[in-house]
Amino acid sequence: MATRTLLSDIALKRPRTRAVYFAVLAATTLAVAAVFLYPLYWMATAGLKTPAEFAAQSVTVLPHDPSASAYGDAWNHMRIPHFFLNTVYYAFGGWLVQLGVDVCAAYALSKLRPVLGKAIFAGMLATLMLPVAALLVPAYLTVTDLPVLHLNLLNSPWGLWLPAAANGFNIYVLKRFFDNIPHEILEAAAVDGASRLKTLTRIVLPLSRPVLAVISIFSIIGMWKDFLWPMLVMQDPDKQTLSVALQRLSASSQVPPTEMIAGMTIAALPMIVIFVIFQRHILGGLSAGAVKG
Amino acid sequence: MAYAFLSAGLVCFGLFSWYPLVRSITLSLQQDNLVTDPQWVGLDNYRTLFDDPLLGIAIRNTLEFTGLALVFGYAIPIAMAILLNELRHFNTFFRLAVYLPVMLPPIVSAMLWQFFYDPGQGLFNTLLHGAHLPTSQWVQSPRTAMLSLVLVSTWANMGGSTLMYLAALQSVPPELYESSEMDGASLWRRIWHITLPQLRFIMLVMLLLQITATMQVFIEPFQLTGFTNPDTITVMTLIYRYAFAVNQDFGLAAALSVLLFVVLSAFAALYLRITREQTV
Amino acid sequence: MITLARRRLLSTVALTTGLVLTLTACDSGDTEAKSDGPVTITVNNMPPATEKIQRQNFLDDVAEFEKAHPDIKIDPNEGKMDPATFSAKLAGGQLENAFYVYFTDPAGLIARKQVADITPYVADFPDIQQIKPNLLQVFGDGKGKTYGLPEGNYTMGLVYNRALFQKAGLDPDKPPATWDEVRDDARKIAALGNGINGYGDYSKNNTGGWHFTAEMYTRGGDVATQGADGKWTAAFNNDTGKAILQQLHDMRFVDRSMGERQLLEWADLLQQMGAGKLGMYLATADNIPTIVAQYKGRTEDYGFGPVPGAQGALGGGGGYMFSPKSTPAQIKAAMAWVLFRHANPARIAAGKERDAKNKQPVGLPEPDIFTGAAEQTYLAANKKYANVPTENFAPFVAAQPSIPLKLEPPNAQKIYAVLDPVMASVLTTQDADIPKLLADAEKQVNAILATVQ
Repeated sequence: MATRTLLSDIALKRPRTRAVYFAVLAATTLAVAAVFLYPLYWMATAGLKTPAEFAAQSVTVLPHDPSASAYGDAWNHMRIPHFFLNTVYYAFGGWLVQLGVDVCAAYALSKLRPVLGKAIFAGMLATLMLPVAALLVPAYLTVTDLPVLHLNLLNSPWGLWLPAAANGFNIYVLKRFFDNIPHEILEAAAVDGASRLKTLTRIVLPLSRPVLAVISIFSIIGMWKDFLWPMLVMQDPDKQTLSVALQRLSASSQVPPTEMIAGMTIAALPMIVIFVIFQRHILGGLSAGAVKG
Repeated sequence: MAYAFLSAGLVCFGLFSWYPLVRSITLSLQQDNLVTDPQWVGLDNYRTLFDDPLLGIAIRNTLEFTGLALVFGYAIPIAMAILLNELRHFNTFFRLAVYLPVMLPPIVSAMLWQFFYDPGQGLFNTLLHGAHLPTSQWVQSPRTAMLSLVLVSTWANMGGSTLMYLAALQSVPPELYESSEMDGASLWRRIWHITLPQLRFIMLVMLLLQITATMQVFIEPFQLTGFTNPDTITVMTLIYRYAFAVNQDFGLAAALSVLLFVVLSAFAALYLRITREQTV
Repeated sequence: MITLARRRLLSTVALTTGLVLTLTACDSGDTEAKSDGPVTITVNNMPPATEKIQRQNFLDDVAEFEKAHPDIKIDPNEGKMDPATFSAKLAGGQLENAFYVYFTDPAGLIARKQVADITPYVADFPDIQQIKPNLLQVFGDGKGKTYGLPEGNYTMGLVYNRALFQKAGLDPDKPPATWDEVRDDARKIAALGNGINGYGDYSKNNTGGWHFTAEMYTRGGDVATQGADGKWTAAFNNDTGKAILQQLHDMRFVDRSMGERQLLEWADLLQQMGAGKLGMYLATADNIPTIVAQYKGRTEDYGFGPVPGAQGALGGGGGYMFSPKSTPAQIKAAMAWVLFRHANPARIAAGKERDAKNKQPVGLPEPDIFTGAAEQTYLAANKKYANVPTENFAPFVAAQPSIPLKLEPPNAQKIYAVLDPVMASVLTTQDADIPKLLADAEKQVNAILATVQ
């Protein structure tokens, strides 16, 4: 790619521009490291300090007397692996449910054009405006006693998965993307005798990989970070997610702050690892979703 | 036939979004102690709500937060994306670093910055002091409290938008830049006339999402300053205070939620209408 | 057409699978008892796994209780009182039969009819007569009905760091007795430097309002008073209120003995104390074992004295109330459990012995909930198995009988929410207008008190 941005490669060959470029590069690198990485480094090393040193809150690059005991305690006492696995299970299941429900719905709205399609789409989008805390109690009441079926979804993963599937953002992005798939492709498939379902799975989905990646990333991250709702729905301490368990332990009992922060650091690691691994896919997905149309 | 595909979606939205919304409206017209049947009280909750001086304070604070967030949380990611797009080195590092805070559960970010904002011994004032710069009271001063909250929120959230803008930037046709450069356009002109227009769609979407989200800000004010601080109490914090912390009055909280919903919906409708030509 | 049928089949399958999964996954645990057979009750306040000893004690107690009551089965949960989830639990039928509350909670819960009335069952439990009547009143509606049982009772005092006192040249056995002395001592301790604060106070999430109330009591004042006509009015917009706020303001900005960081809530001062960075603060005695355990302080370092001013002390504590959706059998079973674990005079000595053996602090100067013979048993056991330096708490114990114990005002949480920003303003804003703050707060508190029946 020759001239792909504001600065052309040719321009960069000029010595003055080069100097400015490298100065800006250096400054940006330092700034980014300082602003985005140092706080996390601080968090990770705070878990290595003794409680007394931590309370002193002095700025040190390395702890004076590093001890990994807080991390060990966090791992064992706080049962981090257990809650981590809980959260993975919920996030994974939620991702599947969201994909299933939202892709079908967006496909229907975009390509199958049901009668009240526009109104339904507007209704789904409108949910993006709903203040979360406002719905808390009514949504909770609904989950505890589903209308018609009279089921109680408390302490069940479906209490997390089904409400998560009601995601207006997913529907919006998916529908937009599907809208841009030329009708000709679908007509060709119909002429060839493909059913709507087959069209969806064989043609539309493979084309949609980038936007599916976007949805997936957001959905998994969303479920991982979600706090208030899982706290209300998964009340059995054994079934809680990692965030909720961390908060419960910090608020209710005798966990020293250093151990708490160590636990938080451990909790943050998996997402970071996943991001590093899938970073190419994420960026690819974001580009498809971000481009006009 | 289309409805077969739609069915699951309709069930989920119906049960967990639309029905609770309706229930929220009914709750706002009732007094409910969650044990016996709720009592209908008409517009009493709304009357109590509008009589409460905290309502005006919360609305003002929320607007202040949203406004500051537009300056910081909206403009900075765009600038950052443009800058990062230019840099040819360390791409992975930048993307990873900028996005890292997004990975943190919001409570963790808020607590982390709480330590930093300690006016006595926190990281920020220690650094400012060491550089012989004036220190700040951060969340403890009425003048800087909101700004401090916006900074936390920006730090924690800008990674997502930055990366989205970055992705959009990478699909800008290079020819546009080439030709404008040959026409002698300066750097800023190129940004203004090529880059930004290319980002228009995504900028408009993000603007709507950002305003909607920041009007509902909760975690940062709640964690850093609590539910009693008139400098920072926002609408959502007030809802929480009504429902759980002080009043234990769900009718009142529901009334405020309905109010917030009406305002946000009106805003969104207006917004979409105005930007219709540009997003089609 | 094959495709149409296939699609219909698919949707049907999907829907059915979903239903089946939901049905199998849904939790059938509910709090309704079976009509015959053993009564199952849910209780909370089980210590979490991170508190090994306390949790084991709890489980041992459950086993012992179930053995003594073969017709009762206990299903314990962790957690105490969390306002955010309480309503949700109540609405969802998940509220435990016996759930923990703090002293500030009963009034609101009773007014909103969200708790069970246990008055009919009180006669079945003679042990209740051994509980201090004024504590039982906290759980009553003032008209003769009872809705809960206390489990612990703590009076405000002054927790101070003996080591810091010594270093600052003060006598660790003589904590400040007046607020003027508090100011002087705080100044000397803050002079030690190194980030050490002489005195600390709260100003966030109602804790500031709570402490302001406590401080009014210590000076013989009140936050709200009840007139002859039964109506309540605000009582803090006076010289006493001004004096409190003025002193706090001066300590913060003139003496600079309170540190720069304000907007503190409960755990923050314990953390400072545990790190050796705080000279003193108003607290209840149960703070001390928490500081030692959670923040790794040393018990010998802490002393406990009476509140400065000594004209009144705010009382606090916790207890249990009962879910309104419980059956009478469940309520009786739950009451039996609560009394067994927390208010059984016959188990006091054994409990203290067990605590001492497990190196849990025994001998702290917490007022007990008992009266009469049970109280004597309690005091004797406390003395016998004491494993903490009780001489450090002597100042408090000595002064305690002469300081009247006062309980919280009505609608306490709402009042605290109004007073909280007053504290915050005084502690963060150099040019805070104290008379105006008090006047505005008075107006708001009067509006709140007007709704008290």
